[in-house]
Amino acid sequence: MSDRLRLDQAAKFLLGVWMSGIVVAMFLIVPQYVGLGDAGRIIILHVPTAWITTVAFAVSAVYSIRYLWKRRPADDAGAVAAAEAGFLFCALATVSGMWFANIVWGTPWNWDPRETTILILLLIYAAYFALRSALDDVERRRRLAAVYNLFAAVTMPFLLFVAPRMADSTLHPNCAFIQGSHCDGIWLELNGTRIGQLGDVVLALQGVEQRGDLAVAQVEVRMPGLREVALLEPSFELASGKPADRPEFPGQQFLLAVEGVDLANGRVLLNMEAPGSGLLSNSRTFWTFMAANIGFLGLFIWLYRLRADVLLLQERLARREAAYELPA
Amino acid sequence: MDPHISPQSAIETSSTAMPSEAPLLMAAWAVFRKDVRSELRTRYALNAILLFAVSTVVAMSMGMGPLTVSRNADLPIIQAALLWVAILFAAFTGLARAFVQEEEARTAAALRLSARPTAVFLGKLLFNLALLLLLVAVTTTLFIIMLRVQAGNPGLLAALLLAGSLGLVAATTLIAAIIARASVKGALFAVLSFPLLAPLLVVAIQGSANAIAGRGWESGVGSLQVLAGYTIALFTASLFLFNSVWEP
Repeated sequence: MSDRLRLDQAAKFLLGVWMSGIVVAMFLIVPQYVGLGDAGRIIILHVPTAWITTVAFAVSAVYSIRYLWKRRPADDAGAVAAAEAGFLFCALATVSGMWFANIVWGTPWNWDPRETTILILLLIYAAYFALRSALDDVERRRRLAAVYNLFAAVTMPFLLFVAPRMADSTLHPNCAFIQGSHCDGIWLELNGTRIGQLGDVVLALQGVEQRGDLAVAQVEVRMPGLREVALLEPSFELASGKPADRPEFPGQQFLLAVEGVDLANGRVLLNMEAPGSGLLSNSRTFWTFMAANIGFLGLFIWLYRLRADVLLLQERLARREAAYELPA
Repeated sequence: MDPHISPQSAIETSSTAMPSEAPLLMAAWAVFRKDVRSELRTRYALNAILLFAVSTVVAMSMGMGPLTVSRNADLPIIQAALLWVAILFAAFTGLARAFVQEEEARTAAALRLSARPTAVFLGKLLFNLALLLLLVAVTTTLFIIMLRVQAGNPGLLAALLLAGSLGLVAATTLIAAIIARASVKGALFAVLSFPLLAPLLVVAIQGSANAIAGRGWESGVGSLQVLAGYTIALFTASLFLFNSVWEP
């Protein structure tokens, strides 16, 4: 027993050092990202917390299944503790995301798919706690809360499916994880389909030419709220096969990038990028980000196990009080 | 068992024997008929949701006056959103009634003795569906008249309203059974239901907007598929989970 206690102490100490290291690395090791400035550092904090939120929801659901199956108080304590820790991380992810969005995208809220899912998750957690507080009988509270938790989990896949349909494009970078968003870009041809649409922006290809080792495309851009037609010239590095110059859409934070070129046939692959795409391609950022994920996961496990122990202890005390008939 | 037997005697006979002996669907039908009969006696839920729906539509109509397409290009989506919000909140006021009333009248124990949990669930689901379809029919008719909605594709709109109602009932019947045992029933029902209904609401509103705008059936097929999948998933989950809720 004392061995386990010592191991727990060591793990806690290690976690503390690890998390402080991440906070330091977030400001000293992670480079500034062009276009985002210091705001880009939020990836180290915001993405892991959002990720832990989903993990917590899944952990809570698994404990709920186990509770309904075996009816052990410990499983219910696990479900509550995971939900409470998840709620905390969910709130952190939401607030930090809104803060970032306000700085970089100009608005704290715009029904981006991930914003939708996290808001609904926040509401589900809140409803779960509201239900628990409204049930007086202990056994019934556990049973019904577990049922609600599982029932809510059943609707989550639909939410993940539906949310991307609410907005045509996502402001979040790395949209490959979100179904239905336009991640692939569009091919436009000088001798074929010259006009295409990305989100609510209409693009018309005017020309492609080679300048040195760059391929430069002339693209006419029309979008709602923009009276005149803008001409953007994104370019593409032929040697490395990567986008070079990504001009910004007028009045917006989005960037227009050329992701592929077929000079012989006059074809160009155009895509819209949110600032921050490719943030993780920097290896220093990537490893700090991975370390942060592990750190936050450790933090979550520590938090929810501590909370589960406290809940079980509370219950044991209450039972002992009842046994000795102590005055309340 | 004789299908024309009255619900009271159906419950009496099955309570003297083992409850599981009555065929499932027959027992569910008996529960449904019992609920309809007791609802027609008190008309509590009926009055509440219908008056709620009428006042919502009247309030919207008074507040906005007739909206015309020439004044607003986003009119279909606005009308679809208003329609579904009216239906949703009216449903929140009435759909919990089926289970809450059993607890308030202290008849839940008798029902537990006389029918299998699955039969109770199916009966209540059917009753809620009937109530909701009535509500949807009244609300939509009033909406079309008072807000001068011109449904471009009435068939698609009706299909979406039906599919949405099925999903709504599949999601809320289990929640109604849960909150019937809690202390603040009314508010809790909406609080617990809304996050689960969010995907349904989004899909139904978008599909209905297409229907009101007069687009063809192909514009609504995706929405109908999602609604059907949602209904089936939640209905199946409810069947599994209801036993745990219905325990005394």
